[in-house]
Amino acid sequence: MDKSIPIRYNDTILCLKEIFKGINMDNNEKTGLSSNQIKFMVSGGLFIIAVIVLIISATKSSAEFFLTVDELLSSQSEYQGQNLRVSGAVLGDSIQFDPETGLLHFTIAHIPADDELTRSDGELSEVLHQAVIDPDNPRLAVVYEGAKPDMLRDEAQAILTGQLNSEGVFAAEELLLKCPSKYEEALPEQAE
Amino acid sequence: MIISLGYMVLALAFLLSIYGLVIVIFGVIKKSPAFVESARLSLILVFPMVTISAAILVFLLLSDRFDVAYVFSVSSRDMPVYLKLTALWGGQEGSLLFWSWLLAGFSGVLTTKKFRKEIDLLPWSLMVAFILLVFFLGLNVFMATPFTRFWHYLDGGRVLSVFQPSSAWPLTPQDGQGLNPLLRHPGMIWHPPALYLGFVGFVIPFALGIATLITKRHDGDLVEKSRPWTLTAWVFLTLGLVLGMRWAYDVLGWGGYWGWDPVEIAALMPWLSATAFIHTALIHRKQARFTRWNFSLIILTFSLVIFGTFVTRSGVLSSVHTFAGSDIGPAMFGITSLVFLGGLGLLIFRWGDFRSAQEIEFGFSRVVLTLFSNLVLLSILMVCFLGVVYPIFSELFTGTQVTVGPAWYESITGPMFLLLLLLMGLCPLAAWSVSRLAKSRRRMMILLPLSLLVPLLTWLFGEVKDLYALVALWLAGLGGLVILGDYVSAVILTGRGANTNFVKALWQPIQKNHRRYGGLLVHLGIVLMSLGIIGLEGLFQETQVTLERNERVRLGDYQLTFEGIDQFSDNTGINTTQAVLTIHRDDSPGGALYPSREVYTNIGMAVTIPGIKSTLARDLYAILVDWQPEMADQATFRIFLNPLVNWLWIGSGALTLGTVIAVLPNPKMRTTPK
Repeated sequence: MDKSIPIRYNDTILCLKEIFKGINMDNNEKTGLSSNQIKFMVSGGLFIIAVIVLIISATKSSAEFFLTVDELLSSQSEYQGQNLRVSGAVLGDSIQFDPETGLLHFTIAHIPADDELTRSDGELSEVLHQAVIDPDNPRLAVVYEGAKPDMLRDEAQAILTGQLNSEGVFAAEELLLKCPSKYEEALPEQAE
Repeated sequence: MIISLGYMVLALAFLLSIYGLVIVIFGVIKKSPAFVESARLSLILVFPMVTISAAILVFLLLSDRFDVAYVFSVSSRDMPVYLKLTALWGGQEGSLLFWSWLLAGFSGVLTTKKFRKEIDLLPWSLMVAFILLVFFLGLNVFMATPFTRFWHYLDGGRVLSVFQPSSAWPLTPQDGQGLNPLLRHPGMIWHPPALYLGFVGFVIPFALGIATLITKRHDGDLVEKSRPWTLTAWVFLTLGLVLGMRWAYDVLGWGGYWGWDPVEIAALMPWLSATAFIHTALIHRKQARFTRWNFSLIILTFSLVIFGTFVTRSGVLSSVHTFAGSDIGPAMFGITSLVFLGGLGLLIFRWGDFRSAQEIEFGFSRVVLTLFSNLVLLSILMVCFLGVVYPIFSELFTGTQVTVGPAWYESITGPMFLLLLLLMGLCPLAAWSVSRLAKSRRRMMILLPLSLLVPLLTWLFGEVKDLYALVALWLAGLGGLVILGDYVSAVILTGRGANTNFVKALWQPIQKNHRRYGGLLVHLGIVLMSLGIIGLEGLFQETQVTLERNERVRLGDYQLTFEGIDQFSDNTGINTTQAVLTIHRDDSPGGALYPSREVYTNIGMAVTIPGIKSTLARDLYAILVDWQPEMADQATFRIFLNPLVNWLWIGSGALTLGTVIAVLPNPKMRTTPK
């Protein structure tokens, strides 16, 4: 029994090694590698390298900077042509659909960088409301080609993916909308 | 009265779980079977108690008891009965109760005869079940109670409480707020329960896995015993995902089925690891290998299940699935960490006790192919995980949050899914070990060139020029042909033997080896589903046009004519605007599309419903984007031509049937030798 501790320790190391190797799960305790194991490692390694190459090239071509409206407007030239993701509060009056061109125009107002992890719905709707009614709040014009989403309305939170064009208008390719539900905040209006 | 009863039964179930946990720990310490038996009996009792509580909530929903806050928030008088029923999982409190109910039910399976005989394992699997039950019932009792009611005081003050506060009166609203309009869809009946069944079902292999690790049992018997439950959970998880796709395709109106939304990814991740687990568990049965690897996978799967519930229910990530924020985030994070770190720690501690004897020989064998498919599945899982955490880490290291979207996921996982399709296609050609290859080589010489016909013919006649799509079609064709070839040769072999009739020859291979042919049918289902996905990802055509009345637009071989717009409203306050587009193909009429938009006037929300004309070859899919409110002479449409989509749904049916065949108990040898 006195040997049990070193064995455990060795096994832990072995376990970690195997996890990193990722291929040969059933290790035998030979020292050195057989040609069989080398075949596994080479083919598995090639696959992993291919995956890493894929990840790197995809990240280069399609990862987006997540910015607030304020951050984007304060350094427009820096971000022009980059893939961007911007979050803001929708101004209801600005929503306009042009049937001739099929383009949807609207404006979003700046909301602070989100710590959605801690923000409950009630607070979010308050933040959105403040963002919309404050006329000094930085605003960003948005153009989007496509159907008007059902949730696009006043004081919704819009999360846009796309690029900033040369006129300073945000050309959105993707629209994600979040409407704080009013359910949590309260009690019913009418009573018997 | 009945409301307090529902709450009290729930609280009692919670206390009983605590009792069970304590008594089973005592049982282990004192090595007393009587204590363990007492714990087993209390676990049996938890399920009916949670059932009563859930039934009471359903009753409250059906009887429009809007003085209950949960009923008020998810139901309303105008909702049809089936939707009132589904409102059980329409909000956080109810869906957590539903979760607990399923958990209690599946945990009950651990007490049945099959598992009770494993006397050394029983206390440990019971313990795992009780820890989970204490947590989830605790959430229901203390943090997310579906039985909270509205009360008001004489001075107008209002309060939420389960029991009547002193000098307060019950407050009963006239009507509830109703379910979010996006959830008012028949998909609501099937999608959430299927997903939850899939999630919670993995508690059985997980609890048994943990028990095996603790007791250092070496026989592979447990993997085998939990197999039907693992497969059942897996098929429900798969169906849950597919039903979600279908729902998105039918309602959400962006022409898509999968958006790489964080919540979708959270449900996909356990599916990937569970799929890997099912395959290595199979090898474990055949060759007693991968013992530790199986433990790793089942712990990973269940951790991801809890993580998935956490993500869906806590509103941590913004997505179409989070309808409300909540306060249970930290608690859910706690249980996720406990399951993952506890399982991982135990695994590392016991690593040396579960060694496999032989080394695997590299070559063209099922074991090696399965091993590689495992590697691919887990790499996809890693990519998913990386995509979800990327924003958090990029902000940590660079100060700017960098996020990734569908394009990122698709460009990385696309080739990996194709590789998976290839491995799946080749697998039936290989033998379990490397040595026996001659027979499969001959079959491969026939099937490989034959499969090349699939992309060739599509290229020549289907006007598909995209190389990526052609490769995908080739791999799908190869997979399908190999499976059919396997089955056909088995049928021929049977037919040649005794004087069996044709129908019997068709059935006999399945009867003899239902696991193998059930599994092959599941794979065939995956091949069919991949056709639908190839159609949606690579072969679709789309256009957005504004049409005058009687004006035509061409898409592919089709001409669509805008005939006009109807507007009508029903008595529940839904105003519908519906456009009519008639379809012509080569000047012969082919039905019509009715894309519409429903406005829920009393809630102020709108839902866009696409018009779909679906055939086996392709779907025509139109969305009403905009129209002239006054004259209704002009409207804008987004129109898609989606080939092969139907095979996505048909494939999932084949997959389900295959799983049923594979799970069926072994048929007894009915024919006795004469």
